[in-house]
Amino acid sequence: MRLKYTIPKDAAHSDSVTCVAWASSDHVISASDDHTVMKWNLLSGENTIHCKLPQELFPTHLARLSVSNPGSKNVPASDLFAVTSTDGKFYFLSHAGRIEKSVQAHKGAVLSGKWNQDGTAFLTCGEDGQLKMWSRSGMLRSTIVQLPQCVYAIAWGPDSDQILYTQGKLLVIKPLQPSAKEVSWKAHDGVVLKADWNQVNRLIVSGGEDCKYKIWDHFGRPLYSSAPFDYPVTAVNWAPGGDLFAVGSFNSICLCDKSGWSHALEKPSCGSIFDISWSNDGMQLAAACADGNVILAHCVEKRLEWCEYEVTLVSRKTVEVKNVANDAHDTLEMKDRVIKISLDYNYLIVITSTQCHIYSTNNFNTPAIFDLREGAVSFVQQAEKHFLLADKAGLYVYSYEGKHVCSPKLPSTVQVGSLTTKTAVISTDVLAIRDSKDEKVVFLIDAHTGKPYGGGHPMTHKIEVVQIALSMCGATSERHLALIDKNHDLYLTPVKSIGSGFKLNKLSNMVHSVQWNTTVNMLCALQDSRMLVWFYPSALFADKDILHHTVYEKDSSDLGKYPELCGYRDNTITLRRTDGSLVSVAISPYPSILNQLVSNNRWTEALTLCRFTKEKSLWACLAAMSLKEKDLNVAEIAYAAVGEASKVEHLNQIKGIASKPVQSAEMALFCGNAYEAEAILLQNNLIFRAIQLNMDLFTWERALDLAVKHKTHIDTVLGFRQVYLRKTHKPETSNKFKQYSQGVDINWKSIMSKIELEMQ
Amino acid sequence: MAEDALSKSGLHFDDLNKLRVLEPESAQQTGELKEECHEFVSKITEFQKIVGSFIDMTNELAGEVEKEKMKAIGYRNLLKSVAKQRDSQQQQLRALIAEKKTEMERLRLQHESLKKQEMEQAEFIEQFSTA
Repeated sequence: MRLKYTIPKDAAHSDSVTCVAWASSDHVISASDDHTVMKWNLLSGENTIHCKLPQELFPTHLARLSVSNPGSKNVPASDLFAVTSTDGKFYFLSHAGRIEKSVQAHKGAVLSGKWNQDGTAFLTCGEDGQLKMWSRSGMLRSTIVQLPQCVYAIAWGPDSDQILYTQGKLLVIKPLQPSAKEVSWKAHDGVVLKADWNQVNRLIVSGGEDCKYKIWDHFGRPLYSSAPFDYPVTAVNWAPGGDLFAVGSFNSICLCDKSGWSHALEKPSCGSIFDISWSNDGMQLAAACADGNVILAHCVEKRLEWCEYEVTLVSRKTVEVKNVANDAHDTLEMKDRVIKISLDYNYLIVITSTQCHIYSTNNFNTPAIFDLREGAVSFVQQAEKHFLLADKAGLYVYSYEGKHVCSPKLPSTVQVGSLTTKTAVISTDVLAIRDSKDEKVVFLIDAHTGKPYGGGHPMTHKIEVVQIALSMCGATSERHLALIDKNHDLYLTPVKSIGSGFKLNKLSNMVHSVQWNTTVNMLCALQDSRMLVWFYPSALFADKDILHHTVYEKDSSDLGKYPELCGYRDNTITLRRTDGSLVSVAISPYPSILNQLVSNNRWTEALTLCRFTKEKSLWACLAAMSLKEKDLNVAEIAYAAVGEASKVEHLNQIKGIASKPVQSAEMALFCGNAYEAEAILLQNNLIFRAIQLNMDLFTWERALDLAVKHKTHIDTVLGFRQVYLRKTHKPETSNKFKQYSQGVDINWKSIMSKIELEMQ
Repeated sequence: MAEDALSKSGLHFDDLNKLRVLEPESAQQTGELKEECHEFVSKITEFQKIVGSFIDMTNELAGEVEKEKMKAIGYRNLLKSVAKQRDSQQQQLRALIAEKKTEMERLRLQHESLKKQEMEQAEFIEQFSTA
């Protein structure tokens, strides 16, 4: 990715530009020390003097408050700009350029001022070391902090309940609840000049006099520190989507990835860059230069790869498609500016500011086109048959023919504008979205109807969920949800079981990234310094003991610290190292072949494949698959190959059982699913076996309950309980047993004869 | 004798027998002096003229010299700043080179991993052709 920039030279400011802001998606306003505010039109390339400021007003920061008018699409939102100034005041500037109000705020200059997310509060910081909170109308609410030194930069936290400010070399996070503790840490070797906090990825970027920029998470842990620039970093700003940020310094502007490495560095001769502002769609930026110019730039050369296709956004409105297999080129010209591109499942989606174009990779000449409702699409994700779009107003599922499938209604706690691939996933039938407010909650939605999935209850985990992922292929019965929580534990659950007494099964721990294969249900996860691939994650529900055999482990220490999983397609895993380089890792093709054979019920070929490869992991996968499909013969062979003699014995025994329901109950038991086994037995009216099952599992009370409920074998349960207590030298503690043991005498002869009768 | 008497009363006759108050010799000398004086004055005037134009010319020259001097100083400074400019340009280019180098390193790593994958796949195919 690269920045393509223009510096409109003809009518620049006559003094340093100190701040810029976007007035709309095509207009930038800039304020300068020459007491003028200029408006730059990106479409026509014209610039006009927007308004003149009073002679004593030297602006320091422009903060835009967009007041949207829902319902009336044609009426432009009446924006309000807050201009902070060196005379200790801040001014409200109307959209038309009239000063509506001036408020005396600080002693000395006001250095920065920012609106919170919903525009209800305005925070200013000044040379007097104070941080002040103001109401929407400019009334002082409170002085938050009083420091002995001036505060250069402030930023609001993701949910507007925390603020970040600089204090010399320190960065401080202060929660707004009075009881919560603030976090402060030494961020730079020099004075911290600028800092910004992203709403979506919750990361902080800071720049300082030590000529470096650094990235921190919201606990203040360092994630990245750049190599020093030649001059101090004078501007840092996140793109709204949180995938990029821009860094400004003397004669240089740098476009960086969220993990810190730089996409591109540009060296315009424009003096120091005092301020950078991103447009809402995250594709354009404006920068304020010390020599009076304003740099207008947009991101180009975003490149996507899928199979043999390579898609590049070459300019604002042009997308180039290249097929590397046959060297075919296609150039797609759009009417409007391209905001997002996505390439997956044989379809290329190009989203412009007004329309959505869907190209099939078979034919790039005839796209399906539909008009967007709102325009500002913030998120796109593709599944096999449809794709998900998100804009400010809501979520939409569209088919690849461009037909609107559904618009899922979500609770208002989900901030649709800040969805990422980690918090929203779409599969062929289910859509999973993590709540933005209560991060423990995951909503599951039917992708065809937009209705809540599985009884309407969202899934609630014990602790905050960091990432969710859905398996992409196969029938709905094979849809699994993988999730990573705050403790970096990886859980797996079948989607269909969610809602009714589901339980999450832990698959692994210390996992920081996870990705499903797009063609076969295999799961890849990154552990501390290892990469794990579960060839058959459902083995967790078939036989836990054999699960560890089905995992492929690879040392990923050569991939550097905390690589990021980018994709897992066919037999290739793509990772991005922290230095930004893409690395692909090949995985053995056999497991996916095995998966496909089994899903087509070709067991003999599956066996042949396992015999040919002689790999334990493959045999283990086959064992788990055959258990799931209840193919005992194959399971026996597979377990024998894995070397689990006891399991083979057990299977043999199960095979010997004549009665079908008993056999399937035993199978369920074999998979460690006692609850299911009991249900099967009870369903088939095999009460004694159910009681015996509970006795074998030492769930005495349940056994007694069943016996009492069905009025049979109460004496048997009591008898065996007595034997058990005698053997373990324990007194009876259960009140239930005490109650029922009165008036029942245990006659072992009759018990034995009864049991014999039942077993026939 | 009469002449003496006349000269005593301060009267003289010249060669043309005209009555004169001054001695004819003095009168002659005075006349000569007057001539010479005239001559002197005119010469001086001419000299003054010449000197004036000389001064003008010198001044002009001085002005031009001054101008050239300033120009030379300007150029010298410019030269110095060119060196500085070159330095800053060099610095910028170096930064760009460093940027490109890191990008190249990224691509090299990607290339390496792809080569490794290719090798693995070739091995895999080899396995079949020998088996």
